[in-house]
Amino acid sequence: MSASADPIAIAFFLIFIALSLGITVWASRRTRTADHFYTAGKSVTALQNGLALAGDYMSAASFLGIAGLVALSGFDGLIYSIGFLVGWPIVTFLIAEPLRNMGRFTFVDVVALRLRQTPIRIAASIGSLAVVAFYLIAQMVGAGNLVRLLFGLPYEAAVLIVGLIMLAYVLFGGMMATTWVQIIKAVLLLGGASLLAGLVLARFGFNPLALFEAAAARYGGGVLSPGRQVSDPIDAVSLGLALMLGTAGLPHILMRFYTVADARTARSSVGYATAFIGFFYLLTFILGFGAMVIIGREAILAIDAGGNMAAPLLSEAVGGRPFLGFIAAVAFATILAVVAGLALSGAATLSHDLWVNVIRKGVADEREQFVVARGATVLLAAVAIALGIAFKGQNVAYMVGLAFAIAASANFPALVLSIFWGGLTTAGAQVSMIVGTVSTLLLIYLSPTIQVDILKSEALFPLRNPGIVTIPLSFACAVVVSWLWPVPAERERFAELERQLHVGVEEPAGARPAR
Amino acid sequence: MMVIYFGFILLVAFDKPLLGTQLLPGLSLGMLLGVIVILAAWILTWVYVRWANQHYDVSVRELKQ
Repeated sequence: MSASADPIAIAFFLIFIALSLGITVWASRRTRTADHFYTAGKSVTALQNGLALAGDYMSAASFLGIAGLVALSGFDGLIYSIGFLVGWPIVTFLIAEPLRNMGRFTFVDVVALRLRQTPIRIAASIGSLAVVAFYLIAQMVGAGNLVRLLFGLPYEAAVLIVGLIMLAYVLFGGMMATTWVQIIKAVLLLGGASLLAGLVLARFGFNPLALFEAAAARYGGGVLSPGRQVSDPIDAVSLGLALMLGTAGLPHILMRFYTVADARTARSSVGYATAFIGFFYLLTFILGFGAMVIIGREAILAIDAGGNMAAPLLSEAVGGRPFLGFIAAVAFATILAVVAGLALSGAATLSHDLWVNVIRKGVADEREQFVVARGATVLLAAVAIALGIAFKGQNVAYMVGLAFAIAASANFPALVLSIFWGGLTTAGAQVSMIVGTVSTLLLIYLSPTIQVDILKSEALFPLRNPGIVTIPLSFACAVVVSWLWPVPAERERFAELERQLHVGVEEPAGARPAR
Repeated sequence: MMVIYFGFILLVAFDKPLLGTQLLPGLSLGMLLGVIVILAAWILTWVYVRWANQHYDVSVRELKQ
């Protein structure tokens, strides 16, 4: 199919978008009456939080990007499926409970708890903004392609329109309970992807092996084994490291551990999230190879050089135009929800951490904070639109891989060390976060993706994903700086906090019956 | 988990022909291992959550008293 407007698909698309937004408004009204905005968060159940976590995590990258990568390069795309999942056990085992036990609002609060606030907040803001920016680019590229496929608009116009819609959504409705947005979206996405995979499998007698065999028959046995994308072994390891450790450094994921009652619920919710996400990534095996066999690589590439439209094209092939409209709407709702969450956390960082705490030293009234937060949202949207256009033709799963590399280098080392190592000092954490962010951004800029694909020049740094260099570098900076300039007072405070970290906040007697 | 995943990634990085071995028509060793890694992440998380909810929390509660 060429990129042209189609009334049936568009009608279904608009109906489903309107429906999902309506449900969101209804759900957020319902939760608002139940309790105050923040405390209502503490009543989120493990299953709900698990779905919300899964919703946050299964962004356009997972659905559009991985399906596209698998369709274009077979097995190589699956490395992303698997890598995105294995971060979750790390979060469960290392991060979830201590984070919840500290009883704060963001991961920056945990790092800053026994260190000096201002320098930590500045450093962490820079890292978080870089992560949010790359994550946003990926969503913009995905959304731009979807709108282009559906409405037949030029890519640049599509990105601009999508950016403006998202801006309006965040400005006017962004503060509505994002937990519900994510829960509804997760259910829609899991349902839509399962249905799509089921329709694909029906064509192969419900035997996945027959599907894989057909793929191998059409494009050679190479599609079932590692190939071109990971031709460089070090690049493969680097990507693996970034995907695995990045999950534990994503600001909007870490925030979700504060919406539940206690460490036990936090733990269970990660269990649910892992189950949902794992199931979803198993589906991407089917979707990717299905698109490869049923649509063919050439047709997918003709629509978008990044392969991002494999899943929507597949839905049209197996379910017709209405199904395309449905799947496109699910993907778009996914992007909208993720972007809203990202834009909000980015705006919060800019207005709360940087403007109020650092520039105004904590002195700013409600009105001023609100104005700054809105300005920050507009600024972020403008940056996202510009970069979304610049990164046209990149695969969105790959782009999110870069966001993971930044998260793994900038946030993960400081967070883990602040929880497990008493010797970490303010300067150590600060240097680690800044060096992690700057080195990752620099190496991405020097990588083949920017230099060869976008600027058409020579790459100065050979790896497409810099994680293998920047993650150890960031850890080393934190340890070396902390050792060279130890701060005994900060170490003493760690001893006080260690009990709280592993046991949890002492609850007032009778406040909550033991479960 | 890290060991399982890194074993897998190192195989991807350094021994591509091995992973390309076809066990059955349509099923290569790499694909099978990929599915196993996902299932392993599932099972390990589940076992940990069960263990922590049943044993770890009890010990923590005793510590508090």
